[in-house]
Amino acid sequence: MHLSTEKLAKAYGFLWALRDVCLDFEPGDLTALLGPNGAGKTTLLRLLAGLTGATAGTVRFDGAEFAPGSIELRHKIGFLAPADHLYEHLTAAENLRFFASLYGRPGDTAAIEDNLTAVNLAARGDEYVANLSSGLKCRLSIAKWRLLQPEFLLLDEPYGVLDGSGVDLLEDFLRAQCAHGGIVVIASHHIARALQLCTRAVILHQGRVTFDERKQQPWPSFDRAFGEFLPRGDS
Amino acid sequence: MTLVKQTALLLWKDLRLELRRRESLMTMFFFGTLLLFVFHFSFDLPPDRVAEMTPALLWLAFLFTGTLGLAQLFNAERENHCLDALLLSPLDRGALFLAKTGFNLVLMLLVEVVVIPLFWILFNLSSWNLLPQIFLVSLLGTVGFCSLGTLMAAITLRARARELLLPLILFPLMIPVILATIRCMENVLRVGEFGEAFAWLRLLLGFDVIFLTVGVLIFDHVIES
Repeated sequence: MHLSTEKLAKAYGFLWALRDVCLDFEPGDLTALLGPNGAGKTTLLRLLAGLTGATAGTVRFDGAEFAPGSIELRHKIGFLAPADHLYEHLTAAENLRFFASLYGRPGDTAAIEDNLTAVNLAARGDEYVANLSSGLKCRLSIAKWRLLQPEFLLLDEPYGVLDGSGVDLLEDFLRAQCAHGGIVVIASHHIARALQLCTRAVILHQGRVTFDERKQQPWPSFDRAFGEFLPRGDS
Repeated sequence: MTLVKQTALLLWKDLRLELRRRESLMTMFFFGTLLLFVFHFSFDLPPDRVAEMTPALLWLAFLFTGTLGLAQLFNAERENHCLDALLLSPLDRGALFLAKTGFNLVLMLLVEVVVIPLFWILFNLSSWNLLPQIFLVSLLGTVGFCSLGTLMAAITLRARARELLLPLILFPLMIPVILATIRCMENVLRVGEFGEAFAWLRLLLGFDVIFLTVGVLIFDHVIES
C-alpha cells in the first residue's frame, strides 16, 4: 500500500489550515507528525482519513484518488482518537463486535476476548464504555484497531490519557502494524516518545510542511527545525 | 445484501441503545399523551365533525411527537464523535439512512399504537372497527414523515440551533404527506372504507417510495457535507 498527498490544502472560511502539503508514505513508515498548536496536524489527519474534504489537492491510495465518499478504501483506514469513537451505552465487547461486523472482520467471542485480553480489559468486557476511565477507553480503542487491522492507521494525541503499561501496549501494537507493512501516522506533543518510536518525522507549522526526514541518529537538522517551537529553557 | 445487513446492524445498535437509555421513546410517549389530554380539554368534538377534526388533531400530535424524536435521532452519534467512527468505516451511507429512518419509525409506531386508541377513548368515538384502516394510513404517513425527517435531521445535524431549524425546514416539505394522510383518514372516517381515499393512498405510497429512494441515494452527500 502506498499513500501520497498532492498539494493538499484545507481552508476554514478565509483561514488556511493547511497549504501545499505533499507527502509520500511507504509501507512500514511510522511517521511522527509534530508541530505547535494550530499547526494543522488534526486537520491533516482528518483529511487523510477522509473525514473532511480538501479545499484543494488530492489524497491517493495506490494511485487511486481518495475522497470522503470513497467507501471501498475505508476498511483499510483506521483513526485512533483516545476515548472517542466508542458508544457509551454499549459494553466494551459489544462495541468491538459492532465495529467488527461493520468492517466485515471476524467478530466472534474468541477474537473479541483475545483483543480485550491483549489490552488488559478481559475482566471489563461486559461493562458499559460510559463506566470506563479515559485511559481504559483508549485501551479499548487500541483493542478495536487490533481487531480491525487497518493498513493505514492515524493517531491523534494517543499518549495523553495512557499510563506506562498502556503506552507500552500502544507502541507494541504500532510497531507490529508497521512490521506487517502497515503505515502509521501519529500526531503528538509528546516529542520524546514520538521520536523514539518513529521512523520519520514531519513538522507542520502554520499549515505548511517545514520538515520531512527519515530518522537519523544524531539528528541535528530536526533539532534545528523543531527548536523554535520548544518552550524557553527546554532543550 | 450488504445494505440490508448493515441496516440491520445499525438498527440493532440503535434499538439496544434506546432500550438502555430510554430517552427518545419515553419523551415521545409522554409528549404525545400530554397533547391528547390538551386536545381533550380544549375541544368539544361533536359527532358530525369527527371525520373532519380527528385526522388533523391526531396528525398534529404525531408531527410534534415525531419532531421531538427526530431532534434526538443522532444523539448517540454525537456522543464521543461516533458519527466520525461510522463515516470512517466502509458503511454504505444508504444503510445509515435506512437504519435511522427505521429506528424513528419503530419509535413513532410504538407511540401511535398507544395514542390512537387513547384518542378514541378520550373523545368517546364509536368507530373502533375503522382502527385497522386508520393504522394503515398512519403507517404510510409515518414512513413518509420518518424518511423525509431523517434527511432533514441529517442536514441540520451540525447546525447550532438545529432543534429550531429542523421543524422550520421539515414542516413545509411535509405538507404533501400531511395533506394526503389527513384526507385519506377523513375519507375512511366519513365513508367507513377506503373508497375515494385510494387516490390519496396511492399518492402517499408514491411519496414514501420517492423519499426513501432519494434518501438512500443522496444520504452520503447530506451526511458528509
